[in-house]
Amino acid sequence: MRIRESIRISWRAITGHKLRSTLTTIGIVIGIGSIIAFMVLGGAFEEDVLGGFDTEDQTLVLVQTQGEVDGGFGFQTFSDPIYTQNDVEAIERIDGVEFVDPDGTIPASQVRRGSETTVSFTVRIAKPASFSKNVSGSFVAGEAFADEGEAVIDTELAESLGGNVSVGEEIRVTFTDGTRRSFTVSGIYAAENQAPGTGTSVYVPADPYYNVTVDTHRGTEAIAYSSLTVWVDSIEDLSAVQSAADEYFHSGESDAEHLVDDDKQIAVQTFDALLAQVGEIFDQVTIFIAGIAGIALLVGAIGIANIMIVSVTERTREIGIMKAVGARQRDIVQLFLVEALILGIIGAIGGVMLGIGTGYLLVGYAGFPMIYPIDWIVIAVFVGIGVGIVSGLYPAWRAARVDPIEALRRE
Amino acid sequence: MARTDRGGERTGTGVVAARNVSRTFFLGEPVHALRDVTLTLKEGSFTAVMGPSGSGKSTLMNLLGCLDTPDQGTIEIDGRSVGDLSGAERARLRGREIGFVFQTFNLMPRLTAAENVSLPMVFNDVVDADRRERARTLLERVGLGDRLDHAPNELSGGQRQRVAIARALANEPTLILADEPTGNLDSETGREIMDLFDELHAEGRTILMVTHERHIAERADRIVTLVDGQLERIEDVSDVVPSGPTVLDDRDAPTEPDGGEGA
Repeated sequence: MRIRESIRISWRAITGHKLRSTLTTIGIVIGIGSIIAFMVLGGAFEEDVLGGFDTEDQTLVLVQTQGEVDGGFGFQTFSDPIYTQNDVEAIERIDGVEFVDPDGTIPASQVRRGSETTVSFTVRIAKPASFSKNVSGSFVAGEAFADEGEAVIDTELAESLGGNVSVGEEIRVTFTDGTRRSFTVSGIYAAENQAPGTGTSVYVPADPYYNVTVDTHRGTEAIAYSSLTVWVDSIEDLSAVQSAADEYFHSGESDAEHLVDDDKQIAVQTFDALLAQVGEIFDQVTIFIAGIAGIALLVGAIGIANIMIVSVTERTREIGIMKAVGARQRDIVQLFLVEALILGIIGAIGGVMLGIGTGYLLVGYAGFPMIYPIDWIVIAVFVGIGVGIVSGLYPAWRAARVDPIEALRRE
Repeated sequence: MARTDRGGERTGTGVVAARNVSRTFFLGEPVHALRDVTLTLKEGSFTAVMGPSGSGKSTLMNLLGCLDTPDQGTIEIDGRSVGDLSGAERARLRGREIGFVFQTFNLMPRLTAAENVSLPMVFNDVVDADRRERARTLLERVGLGDRLDHAPNELSGGQRQRVAIARALANEPTLILADEPTGNLDSETGREIMDLFDELHAEGRTILMVTHERHIAERADRIVTLVDGQLERIEDVSDVVPSGPTVLDDRDAPTEPDGGEGA
């Protein structure tokens, strides 16, 4: 029997039971739709966080404290101050290192600009040279601070303070220890991409405001930072600096490795490596969630099988007629498989549309950039077709074994 | 028991033959549906099979229609022994050489009249255009040229049976097997359907018809009577007295005409 004829006859059977076929297909639509929606959402979130980084041009090595996430995926970064001035100087002696920009925050409660006030912000320390080295950020106005009386604010903080902040304006920061300090805004900085929670910041020089100290294993008290950004002369030096710094922090000579908690590690990574690590976690989480959505697909598959089995029972007489007029077993198998396949394909197409639609709405709502996970769409369509075939196999086999004599005797 | 010599004489000269066929079913205890039955159908012959319920009429039909295989003996269609064929080959043979007409019509409910007639050709891989043309010709032949695209539920009982007859002719079969073709029709419509069978017979087609009704059976060339799975007798219709009052007594009550329904 020609495949075109099977499609025609199967299609007739499907449209002959519109409600049932629709309900069957909905299982597949929801299964595939939810997988695609999660893939869109996960991909868009990842794109939002990681996309647009000019990772290839970033000449930096990050030194951070990382640890396991309790009961979760991947790793988390800790900001315990363990990297001492001693460590900073040791890293700066490595060949190819231009300078080290220690990162840390100064506890502060409020920032005021004229009558505008905000409490949700962070005071970070920075070196002026870091702003120009960072390829994924730039000044929208002004420049880096030149002395302790000046500060850089980012565009998000400028927005929080009423917007239209111009260079030269005064801002007043109240620190948690009770001291207050006025800064002249020297520049407004736009970071193109940031990890969540790092925005809305005031950048000030470390000296004289940053004074977090720790007791080193050598018995001294030293200023210590949360993490280090190691700026490298050129891209060629990147991997050499990365391995030299990594070696230093695992050699026993650094203060940090004596200060770090037992369940955490000092990670020395290029920006590329960090992004890859983060991307991997996003993928894991996305696949995990999509796997849960896959259960819906399994239910859909069982639905198709169930409906097809009912359909075989109900159409026993028709199967008998077809056998009486010359249908072979394989013709009957073909008919039922094609029917299941059509349901699977329709379900897959519907699911992809539903998934992209839902993903689009969610992504728009969350403010992420829309992405189209082509690879997952292709996979989903094949899964839908596969589900159709697999769930149609058993019913088709049952149909082929119908005894025409019995079937034709039925009323 | 008394198989007439006439039946024996015809063995070996027909297009369809059952030779010493036995068929036993096991339903708790063995039931001998057919015992050593030999029957030959000559090309162009019209044979009626009669007998009480359970006499083996249906079993014989299923065997001749290649829906079933005998436990002993052979079924030959156009010189080929059916027992040697695989399931798929039997299905092919059935589609090409046998045309079924059932009491309950057995049309595909979701297909139109023309599509129903085309169905045997679909399984016989006849190309689309030829199928359509042939379905039209056949439906015109049975007087339904204006009902090509009607679904079975839009047709009367008699019209449905005509579609079924057209379908039976689709692949130019060697044998037309009709199982009580007028059983679900009122007498007037039944007569029209029998007239159609007469025409097919006149065209030279080979027909085997199972029926309860003596007056229907008498429209055939000869009447084969089965009792308890054995050939009781074979009569040539020209030998028997034409329909009289005794014949009417043989009619089954359920098939009595109950007023022009469905005609």
